[in-house]
Amino acid sequence: MSTAESTTSPNPGLRDRVGTVFTVRPLTVGLALFWVWVLARWTTDFVLAGVLGLDRGTPFVPAAPFLTTADTVASLAAPLGVAGAPLVWLADTLRFAADATAYLPALAHGIWTTVLLTVFSVCLGFTLALPLSVVRVYGGRWARWLALSYTELIRGTPLLAQLFVLYFATSLTQVLRGVPGVGVGFVPAQAFWVAVISFTLNSAAYQSEYLRASLESVDGGQLTAARAIGLSKLEGIRYVVVPQGLRLALPSWTNELVYLIKYSSLASFITVQELYGRTSTIANETYQYTELFVLVAILYLALVVSASALMDRVESHTATAGVGHTRQ
Amino acid sequence: MTQPLLSIDDLHKSYGSEEVLEGVGLEMEQGDVTVLIGPSGSGKSTLLRCVNRLTEINSGRIALDGQDVTGTDTDVNELRKQVGMVFQDFNLFAHLTALENVTLGPKKVLGMDAADAEEAGRTHLEQVGLLEQADSYPAELSGGQKQRVGIARALAMDPELLLFDEPTSALDPELVGEVVEVMRDLAAEGITMLVVSHEMDFARSAASDIVFLDDGEIVEHGPPEQLFQNPTAERTEQFLSRLHAHEETA
Repeated sequence: MSTAESTTSPNPGLRDRVGTVFTVRPLTVGLALFWVWVLARWTTDFVLAGVLGLDRGTPFVPAAPFLTTADTVASLAAPLGVAGAPLVWLADTLRFAADATAYLPALAHGIWTTVLLTVFSVCLGFTLALPLSVVRVYGGRWARWLALSYTELIRGTPLLAQLFVLYFATSLTQVLRGVPGVGVGFVPAQAFWVAVISFTLNSAAYQSEYLRASLESVDGGQLTAARAIGLSKLEGIRYVVVPQGLRLALPSWTNELVYLIKYSSLASFITVQELYGRTSTIANETYQYTELFVLVAILYLALVVSASALMDRVESHTATAGVGHTRQ
Repeated sequence: MTQPLLSIDDLHKSYGSEEVLEGVGLEMEQGDVTVLIGPSGSGKSTLLRCVNRLTEINSGRIALDGQDVTGTDTDVNELRKQVGMVFQDFNLFAHLTALENVTLGPKKVLGMDAADAEEAGRTHLEQVGLLEQADSYPAELSGGQKQRVGIARALAMDPELLLFDEPTSALDPELVGEVVEVMRDLAAEGITMLVVSHEMDFARSAASDIVFLDDGEIVEHGPPEQLFQNPTAERTEQFLSRLHAHEETA
C-alpha cells in the first residue's frame, strides 16, 4: 500500500479489516488446506503405510461418488441442449475431480521430491553465494575476476545444458552411485543428487548477483565505522555489512526461490521423478494430458504462493527501521 | 619530561599529485582538547584519519603513547581500540539498536561477555543522556541523538584518544547544542580529544588548544584566548573574521 493511498483512505482501519477478511483469509485457508493434505499424504504413505502394512498411495477420497454425480448431472444436461452448458461444465469438473483423486497421491510424492530438491539447492546455493558475493565486492582483483567468470559462465548458459553436462558428460553419477546410502530407503538415488549439485551451482551464481547488489548498496560509512572501532575488514563485513545486505536482498532472494521451484522440473529430464516428472510419466500412460497438466499447474501455484507467503513473513519478521524498504 | 600522548611529526599526505598535508607537526598531552579549525580542503579531516589509519600517510611520524602508529608492522585493529572516532555522518550501524551499536565493539573486539558489555553500554548511553533510547534503531533517532550514540559507541571502547570529525556539521542548528554539551562534559572529565569543528562555542569553552590549518600546514597553534583574540598570522585573522561574519548571519 502506497503512502498516498493510505492517507487518502477515509478509514484505514476499516479498510484493513475488509482487506483481512476478503483477501488474506481465503489464501491462508487455501494454503493451510493444501499443506494439511500434503503432510497427511506424506505421513500416510511414507510412515504409516510402512508401520501398519497398508497400500501406499490409496486416495483419501474415492473417485466413485464424483463419477456418479457427474453422470447424473450430465444426464440432466442432455435434454436441455445448449442451455445445459453450465451443467455440462459442472459434470466435466466433477470428472476432473474424480481423476484428480486418483492421481493426487502420486503427485504428492512428486511434491516431496520437488520440495527437497528446491530446499537443498537453494540452501546449498546460498552458502556458496555468500562468499562469492563478498569476494565480488571486497576481493582482490584476481579473486573478483574468478568470481565474476564463474557467475557469467553459469548465467550465460542454459540450466538444462549444465544439468546434462553433469549427468551425461561427467562421471558424477557413477561417483554418487558409489556413495553408501544413496538410493537406500528415504535417501533419493544418484540422479536426484546430480540435480541438487547442478541447481546448487546454478543458484549460487544467481544468488551471488542478488547479494552483490545488496552488499554494494550498504553505505560505505558502515564498514569505515566498523573498522574504526577495531573490527578487521572481514569482521566488519560479517557483523555490519552482511546483516544489512541480507535484509536488502530478501525480496530478490524470494524471486530466486520461486524460480527454482519451477526450474527444478528440469530434473525430470535426467529421470528424477519430481512433481513434473511424475505428472509427465502418468500423462504418457493415461493420455489425460489436459487434466494432469492443469492439476500440476495448480500444485506448482500452491507451492510458489506458499514460498512467497513464507518469505513475506520472514521479511516482516526481520524488518528493521531504516534498513531496506519498511512496509507501511 | 613526560612523553606526549600523541605526537605527529613532519606529516605528509597527498592524493595523487595533490598534496593535502605538507609537513604537519602536533603534540597532545593526556587530557588535552585540541580543536582543528581551517577552511574546507585544508586537510583537517585527513589529518584526523591519519591518526587512526583510516588514511595511510606518505611520510612523517605519528606516535601514540610512544608507539609508532604508521609502521607496517603496527596492528591497526589494536591501534583503533585505543583511538575512538566520531563521524560527521554518524555512521551508526543501521541494523543494530542504540545499545547494540555501543556493545558491538566491546563484544567482538574486546571480547567482553554480552552481559558485561550491555551493562557498560547502558552506562555509556546514560552518559550521553540516551538510556531511554537504548532499544531504538538509528532510523528512529534524531540527528543529535544519533551523534550522541556515535559518541557512546566510541567511548565504549575506553579509548585513550577520541577523534571527532566535524561532529555537528550534519546537524540541524537546534540539535547542535545537545551534542556540544556532551562533548563539553567529556572534556571536563579529562578525556583527550582531537576535534575538527567550527563550533566556536565549544572551542572557546572547552578547548585547551586551537590549531589553525590552512593549505596543508599549521599556520597557528595556541590556547583559545590567544588565538581568537590576538591571532598573529594574517591568514588566521582573515579566516576568523569570515567565521564570525558567518556566525552572526546564521
